[in-house]
Amino acid sequence: MSNSHLFLKSGFPRAPLQNGLGRYVCQLQRITLKFCKNNGSSRGMRDFIENHLVDFAKENPGIVVYVKPRRHRTPVLVGEYLNGEREWLNCRNNTKDEISKWIELLKTQNGCSSSLRLRKMWHTDVPSVQGPWTPFLLRSPDANSIEYPNIDASKPLDIPKTATDKLIELFKKQKLEAGDGAEDLLKQKRAE
Amino acid sequence: MSFLRSVAGIILVAKPLTSIGTAQTQRNIKRWVAPTLRELRHRAKKQGPQKPESRSGYVEWNYRSELFAFGKRLQESFQLPVLQAAFTQPSYVHQERERQRKLGIEEVDLQATDNTELAAKGAHIAKAYVEAYLQHSLPKMPSAGQQAIAAYLLSDNTLAYVALHLGTKELIFSAEYPPTTETLAQTLQAVIGALSDSSGVERAFIFVRDFVCTQLNQKDLLDLWKPSEPIKLLTEVCQQRNLGDVEPRLLGDCGKNTVLAAYHVGIYANRQLLGKGFGEDVNTATETAALDALQTLFDMHDNRQPFNFQLQVEPKNVRLA
Repeated sequence: MSNSHLFLKSGFPRAPLQNGLGRYVCQLQRITLKFCKNNGSSRGMRDFIENHLVDFAKENPGIVVYVKPRRHRTPVLVGEYLNGEREWLNCRNNTKDEISKWIELLKTQNGCSSSLRLRKMWHTDVPSVQGPWTPFLLRSPDANSIEYPNIDASKPLDIPKTATDKLIELFKKQKLEAGDGAEDLLKQKRAE
Repeated sequence: MSFLRSVAGIILVAKPLTSIGTAQTQRNIKRWVAPTLRELRHRAKKQGPQKPESRSGYVEWNYRSELFAFGKRLQESFQLPVLQAAFTQPSYVHQERERQRKLGIEEVDLQATDNTELAAKGAHIAKAYVEAYLQHSLPKMPSAGQQAIAAYLLSDNTLAYVALHLGTKELIFSAEYPPTTETLAQTLQAVIGALSDSSGVERAFIFVRDFVCTQLNQKDLLDLWKPSEPIKLLTEVCQQRNLGDVEPRLLGDCGKNTVLAAYHVGIYANRQLLGKGFGEDVNTATETAALDALQTLFDMHDNRQPFNFQLQVEPKNVRLA
């Protein structure tokens, strides 16, 4: 995201009207092709209208197509969506293939995508199916009968061993390994 | 002053013509642009906010094509005259009659029919189908809950939302623009009626399922219907289903006698845990637990199995009488 997008409207990818759950409804409701009949910048648009427009209208009977010639102006695509949004596309000097691609884009999106910054690429209304965590979750039943203040329950769960404890443990371990002979040796040493 | 300026402009334009002889106009900073824009903005501000213009006022507008595309978009085949009647509000017919009378036409020969009958028919179909669908999808829920959910689905707000997102806003013939919530809702009902007239009542049922019933998706059913006295209702339900006596028990608490006290109460019946709930005191926690138990018994939890929107409710199960 660059600085120029800071004030752009932001949102999440959403299907309007639960589209596709029951049946799919194409969200582009009408498209207007504006072009000039003799200016060179409209050449691609004129080619598109001559070669592909009738096929497009036949394939997509749910989209109303308006063609609007106007003198010496840039060719323009205007798509209107079912949610009331209107998208304006400049097609100056575009070829007919490029125009086909732009129209395909308008046909497959559900709103004016260029005026929406997606905050995330996904969205859910129910973030956790199992519910939020609470301190009571998976608590031992014993915890209910404890009388407070309680010395055992007030201790921290992880008290680290002190250096003395570690030394004593080491010493006992050595004693076990050496057996009784070591005990005598230790006594002799002390007597000396 | 302006005269002087125009004279100066003429002189400036004339100068290169006389000196060089080519027809090249001088390019300046256009000093008229900013004042003009300022003036336009000033006038617009003086006039106040304007009403939104309807799309049908544009040059590129063909009502017949729009009607045709409306049906095709929804993958339905409408009879266009019936569909047009469905989009004609009584207020529009009235307005047209008044206008003709003002113009001095004695015999008003306006043949336009309004959508009152179609709307009544559509509302009847929608109500019957939604009730049958809920009966099928939420079999464990009591009829009060099903009625509350059906009332939500058939409320003006929901229907108007659906109608707006099906693109009816620009097609409606109505005295006011933009159409009100009631107008939009009535139009959707009329469209359902028109569909039933055009391609049979079964298509109308599927239309209602696909566009109205799908509004239930991911909705918290407790938002749509919340029993006012959950403990009483739970007691009744447990008696009916022979589950035993309802018994709330404290599962845990913390922060007793403080501002942040929390109680965790479980509801048992016949030594079985039915539901758990939290609250800042024991009564609230018991109510929450009872709601939780009811949600389990009625199968209306958040994490219930999603609704099946491909469901074919048999037409004989829909009470259209």
